[in-house]
Amino acid sequence: MEKFESGMAELLEVDTVDASDVLEGFEAWDSLTSLSIIAFIDENYGVSVSANDLVAAKTVGGLKDLVLTKAKKA
Amino acid sequence: MSAPLHPFSLGGNAYLVTGAASGIGRATSILLSAMGARLVLCDINVGGLEETKSQCSRSVTLLPLDLTRSSLIKDAMLEAVAGAGKLNGFVHAAGRPYISPLKSISEEKCTEVYALNTYAALELAKAFTNRNIYAGERGSIVLVSSVYALVGSAANVGYAMSKAALTGITKSLSIELAPKKIRVNCVAPGFIRTAMMDKAGALFNDEHSQLLEKMHPLGLGEAQDVAGAIAFLLSDASRWITGTILPVDGGFTAQ
Repeated sequence: MEKFESGMAELLEVDTVDASDVLEGFEAWDSLTSLSIIAFIDENYGVSVSANDLVAAKTVGGLKDLVLTKAKKA
Repeated sequence: MSAPLHPFSLGGNAYLVTGAASGIGRATSILLSAMGARLVLCDINVGGLEETKSQCSRSVTLLPLDLTRSSLIKDAMLEAVAGAGKLNGFVHAAGRPYISPLKSISEEKCTEVYALNTYAALELAKAFTNRNIYAGERGSIVLVSSVYALVGSAANVGYAMSKAALTGITKSLSIELAPKKIRVNCVAPGFIRTAMMDKAGALFNDEHSQLLEKMHPLGLGEAQDVAGAIAFLLSDASRWITGTILPVDGGFTAQ
């Protein structure tokens, strides 16, 4: 999962991200960025998440936990 | 063979339908069969093909095939034709979506989408024109494109590329194949209720789904709405139509 933070930072158009960062708080956060994150997670971790999952995850760390949980179940 | 009495009849004709295991391909197969056509049903999904076969009005030939393996297409068609008889045309309804913003576009995925949605149409056309496959008369090819070949949409550039290419193929082949009495046309469906749309729809929120409904003055379509247009383009009722891109979209592109 070491690529997770750098991938998220690139998609959210910032240099680095912290686990506590709120997804909707990023300036680059919009529906297209949300779709890009969904595609990034699918391609890199083989996990399907929905737009509603992103909203529910709230933070970068919350999303990472969700991906880890889903990846274990898969 | 003489032309049927009714210009909309497909009695006596034979067609191959790709993507026949679901959605537009399945609805088209069921309609063409009901209209009297002999059919070869092609898809990678064998279970779905069996289900479509069970809903057809007459016996059909099944052709399980991965259309992205283009080198297999001609031999597979020759084998199918040996059982079903020579073809008057084909419908390329097989396709897959690719929703991705530019930020996350991938060359590998674009290539996969292109291989199925686009290049397979060329290999099918190339094999179809073989004298051992084409019946030699009343030839008609229908390619299934998308409204997103005609109008823009964010996060859809890979899919739009694959479907817009089909409109160029349609026009180019309509000229090249006219001397062989093969018409080539294309339908550009709007959003219809299919498994592909359900899968893609899960990526969006409820607000987006409501917006989609509003974008279609006649509401979202059903697969059989597109099947009707395809049947028309295969039939003699459209015998002076070639190289056409026909939107079948409930008014989506009229706005």
